Amino acid sequence: MSPIGPLLLAAFLFSAGVYGVIARRNAVLVLISVELMLNAVNINLVTFQNLLFPGDPAVTGQMFALFIIGVAAAEVGVGLAIVFNMFRNRASVDVDDADLMRW
Amino acid sequence: MDALLEYTWVVVALPLLSAVLITAVGKQLPGKGSEIGIAALGLSWLLAIGIAWQTFVASPVEPLERSVDWTPLGGGFVFELGMLVDGLTAVMLLLVTTVSFMVHVYSREYMQGEPRYTYFFAMLGLFTFSMLLLVVANNLLLAVIGWELVGLCSYLLIGFYWEGKSNQDAGNKAFLTTKFGDVGLIVGVIVLSAGMFGLTDTPFNILEINEAAVAGQLSTTTIVLGMLLIFLGCMSKSGQMPLHVWLPDAMAGPTPVSALIHAATMVTAGVFLLARLYPVVAQNQAVMATIAIFGVLTLFFGGLLALVQDDLKKILAYSTISQLGYMVAAIGVGGYAASIFHLFTHGFFKALLFLGAGSLIHAVHSNNISDMGGMAKAMPHTFWTFIVGSLALAGFPLTAGFFSKDEILIAGEIWAGAGFFTGSLVYWVGLAAAFVTTFYMARACFLIFAGENRSHHTPHESGKLMLAPLMVLAVLSVAAGYLLSPFSPEQPNFETWLATPLLTAETTFPFTDEGTAAASGLVGDGVLAAGTSLAAAGDGPVKVLHGVPTWHPDLLAIVLVLFSLAVFLAYRFYGKGLPERDPTLSMGRFTDVLVAKYGFDDFGYRYIVVPVRDKLSAAATYSSNVLIDGMVAGVGRATKNAAMTTYRVVDQQVIDGGINGAAFSAAWWSDKLKRIQSGDVQKYAGVLVAGTILLVLAFAAAR
Repeated sequence: MSPIGPLLLAAFLFSAGVYGVIARRNAVLVLISVELMLNAVNINLVTFQNLLFPGDPAVTGQMFALFIIGVAAAEVGVGLAIVFNMFRNRASVDVDDADLMRW
Repeated sequence: MDALLEYTWVVVALPLLSAVLITAVGKQLPGKGSEIGIAALGLSWLLAIGIAWQTFVASPVEPLERSVDWTPLGGGFVFELGMLVDGLTAVMLLLVTTVSFMVHVYSREYMQGEPRYTYFFAMLGLFTFSMLLLVVANNLLLAVIGWELVGLCSYLLIGFYWEGKSNQDAGNKAFLTTKFGDVGLIVGVIVLSAGMFGLTDTPFNILEINEAAVAGQLSTTTIVLGMLLIFLGCMSKSGQMPLHVWLPDAMAGPTPVSALIHAATMVTAGVFLLARLYPVVAQNQAVMATIAIFGVLTLFFGGLLALVQDDLKKILAYSTISQLGYMVAAIGVGGYAASIFHLFTHGFFKALLFLGAGSLIHAVHSNNISDMGGMAKAMPHTFWTFIVGSLALAGFPLTAGFFSKDEILIAGEIWAGAGFFTGSLVYWVGLAAAFVTTFYMARACFLIFAGENRSHHTPHESGKLMLAPLMVLAVLSVAAGYLLSPFSPEQPNFETWLATPLLTAETTFPFTDEGTAAASGLVGDGVLAAGTSLAAAGDGPVKVLHGVPTWHPDLLAIVLVLFSLAVFLAYRFYGKGLPERDPTLSMGRFTDVLVAKYGFDDFGYRYIVVPVRDKLSAAATYSSNVLIDGMVAGVGRATKNAAMTTYRVVDQQVIDGGINGAAFSAAWWSDKLKRIQSGDVQKYAGVLVAGTILLVLAFAAAR
């Protein structure tokens, strides 16, 4: 199977994720964008495992992808907790408001 | 036998010690310090007698010189602190300590009740020390120090009664006039020593200067210039015309001071210095002629001034000037021994006359002889001592003044015989002045002692402390003459006493023609008023050229005639008391000239004092206050301005500006840079991505 389709998809997802992280104001959407980038990486890992080491019984790429899914879930947990706290304190989930660590 | 001579410095040190002690503790003592002065001077006197005796009986002696290097003068030259003891020194030591001791004793009574009694004795001690320092100095610089110190003491003691303005003026006049000559003295000393620079490390040493002069190592220019300048100092100090003007005014001081300083010792310092440098003087005819002419002028015209004086002390002052003229003239006509002999005898009889005058003034409370009269009965001891002094001063035969003055006249005669005009000048003018001297002293004596008492006081004889010095000095005024008289032995006598080994027939008066000089007896086989090398003359007594004085019947006759004539004239005018018209004051224009003192004072006041006071001091004040102060202030202001400019530009702008600029630019930049840390995480992420893209592109391009 040609790897072009999955790689294009991954590139598109990553770009969308970068765009979301930089441009979106809503903290929840920023978190989602981070998930998009992680998943783009997952796709890339699986794609290159199959492209470079087809039939190899040690499926390192897939294993990495599984780990990333686990870590991403934890990360979303922590991230959402921060967002909740932020909302509680300021009644807003706009990341532009969270600029306490400035000059 | 030299043992005692080694202690000559003690003679000098004792009066200084006395002055210091009197200043320190004098006021607490019962005698208010006078006992210290008398004791110290008594010891000094005894020691001086011992030294004089030793040098006299063994005369002529080799000079004894002892010195320590005091301080280097630079250029390898050394300033010595030392003493030179020979016959001349011993004579002066004896004279100074004797008169000083007598004056100390006399002042104990005379100054009784003065408010500054202790100060007076301290000053007497200081003066005696200074004079002795001058006398024993072995180099000219030390002598100049003594010379200036005696000038200072003279100034302080003339102004002793400083409450009176005229006394202050007299002190200032004396100080400034002598100081004028002192400039000549110091320059002359330097000129002389400059001639010695190549020859020795101690160019101021008197013996070495004399030796060099005798050996012909000093150029004529050095000798003439040096000695004439030194003679200028001697003129001012020894009251030679026209620098004598201070001496009569100096009589403002207490009478014992006049006796000690202004008659017997300080004023003879100039003559002493000329005698000290006589081997140098004797090298040049021009120097000797100059000295002789000034001496002759002074001895005659100074004496004339005494004719019109009413103040007894001023009569004596002018007579001192006149007698100093004799001494200086004697130096100028080769009468080295005669000059010092006259200095010696004059010291005694003039001190006697001044102390006698003090006794009279004490009794009648006036200095004027017109206020005295008839004192012979009331004050018998003062009377006879004063008469003895007057006779000695007038040169009455067989007194000390007779022998010494005749020595001077004989010296003039011999000099004239050698073909020098100044010799006859000294001889004839000296005789004429002797007549004048006799006349004014006879005038004073008649007015004081004969006739009726014109004072408003009942005169009383002075106490023992005042009479004892008078009697001692009266004896000396006669006895001192026999040191060099037809009665004295060939050796020792006063002339062998003064002999120095430097002057031989060959080295003295090199300007004389040998034949005439020998024929006239000026030079010859014997040693001059001084000796050949004393060591060479070891086999037998040293002969002095002139030998023992012989009687000169012609001179004796002239002197006796002049004396009788003068006394007779004086008796006719004054024998019966003060005439209504004093003859000396009734001589028309002649009297006017004498009363105006030849106009020296007037001239000095109008052309020296006034211009100096009004022009020179004003100019000096202007140059000091305006020019020099202006320069100093200008430099100060310029410095201040430069400092202010430096402060404003360099410190405030460059240095502070640099440091402040660094600080401000750091602040400015940090203000700009801090805005990067906006706290906006998305912006950081954007920059991060942009950076990554740039890096990727860069690496890609690099491949």
